[in-house]
Amino acid sequence: MHAFLVTLILFTGAVLAGLALLITANKVAREAVERLDRRRRLLLEPAVFRYIHETGHKSLPDYLPKPLSRRDRRIAEAVLLDAARLVRGQARDRVTSAFEALGSVRGSIVGLRSQRWWKRADSAERLGLMGSQTAVEPLVTALADPEGEVRIRAARALGLVRGSTSIRPLVGALADPNRWSAIRVAEILIGVGPEAVGELLAAFGTLPVAGRVSTLDILGRIKSLEAVPLLKNTLKDQHPDLRARAAYALGLIGDPDFAEALAAALRDVEWPVRATAARALGRIGGRAAIPALCEALKDRQWWVRANAGEALRLLGPEGRDALISMLDADDTYARHQAVAQLEEGHIIDDYVADLGSPDEERSAAAVRFLEKVIALQRHERLTQQSVEHAQEGVRRTLHKILNRPQPEGGT
Amino acid sequence: MVDDDAIVRRFIGELLHSHGYDVHLAEDGETALRQVGEVRPALVLLDLVMPYKDGFEVLNALKHDPATREIPVMILSVRDREEDVVKGLNLGADDYMRKPFSTQELLARVRKILDRQG
Repeated sequence: MHAFLVTLILFTGAVLAGLALLITANKVAREAVERLDRRRRLLLEPAVFRYIHETGHKSLPDYLPKPLSRRDRRIAEAVLLDAARLVRGQARDRVTSAFEALGSVRGSIVGLRSQRWWKRADSAERLGLMGSQTAVEPLVTALADPEGEVRIRAARALGLVRGSTSIRPLVGALADPNRWSAIRVAEILIGVGPEAVGELLAAFGTLPVAGRVSTLDILGRIKSLEAVPLLKNTLKDQHPDLRARAAYALGLIGDPDFAEALAAALRDVEWPVRATAARALGRIGGRAAIPALCEALKDRQWWVRANAGEALRLLGPEGRDALISMLDADDTYARHQAVAQLEEGHIIDDYVADLGSPDEERSAAAVRFLEKVIALQRHERLTQQSVEHAQEGVRRTLHKILNRPQPEGGT
Repeated sequence: MVDDDAIVRRFIGELLHSHGYDVHLAEDGETALRQVGEVRPALVLLDLVMPYKDGFEVLNALKHDPATREIPVMILSVRDREEDVVKGLNLGADDYMRKPFSTQELLARVRKILDRQG
């Protein structure tokens, strides 16, 4: 028994020592390879950079040592991948040509058929950086990969390759929100920018409602003027989600000429459309919409009133004057929203400061204004100022106004 | 050429060198300020995102030192927010380019700044 135990311990020790030796040898070998690669890279890198910087007809292999070893090819490819992230324009086109000349594009296309999903995902990502049109068809096929990560990297790669043939399948992905994260596809298409607009407009009518909602959002974020006629038409669509998103997109594009179309959307039967139109009017700064925004302050839905009020506040002096005039409105909701926005925009503070003005007309106007605010039960900030304001005269006047008996039915 | 990324330094160094420019490379702000004092370059190409001392700090230091105030600075950065561009130009940068960049455009801008300097 004793001899058996000793043998077992010796055997286990020998196995562990063997494993440790193997791991150490592997690490040493890997570090040696990496060191050689780094040294080799310093020799090859200037040649690759020289190729990228020149404008002649010679291809990358003409700049590299011949015959090109597998290691040199791998290192040149790594240098090109770094350069691909760094440059655009003509230099970027030369990087793509170099990947093609080295056979890297072909190799990564083969990698898309690997049994291991992470190799397929890595190949898709590389193909995106390589930017070769040759990869479009295999990448489109990879959009149907069973692994989600491979699909999304293939989609990103198509966004980087660009050209209508690569953008079309991405737009098509918007039609299948169960299989695709609409947000991620949208991000990719927004990254493509104006080049994606033509395909988005062409596909719009063929997409389901969710896909059309995403498309409107993308068009707004790209700030496509080409999309304006479609967006304006969609404000009259029968589906409220589409009308709301079209209003939002027009707000993102931000042309004050949209004021009339958006003001009309403030009368939509669905409140989310009215609320989004009000918000969009705030973004575009359309002064022509001030009367419509004042009307929207009377809306029965809080979101519509809040967005309309904010829009008026953002419109500058004219919007501020409109909010002040709404303190006399016959609608309680409108008066309350107007005073909330005037407080938010520190307009009430300006009037409080006017209480200390030597100009009697000015201080009297401030008293009249603040009486209206107090009549709307907006006491809190004014009460605080009646204690904390730096000028004693202002504190005293405020205190007096706050303690005056209020007329009944003021709110 | 000031950039903490060695590949960017070598890439742009090679580009400018191949067009006849004498290029000095610096990997961080401190080294850059020391080298600028020593070699008095005709132009500083400056990255913004760097450890220890970022590009804005380096720019600020260059523009507040009477000995280096007149040296033109071009920012070359991945940061493309409007406020970064405005801040860089307000601090005294002569130009601002975003990465990824066009090599032809970079060369044209460098040439223009140096021509202006005579």
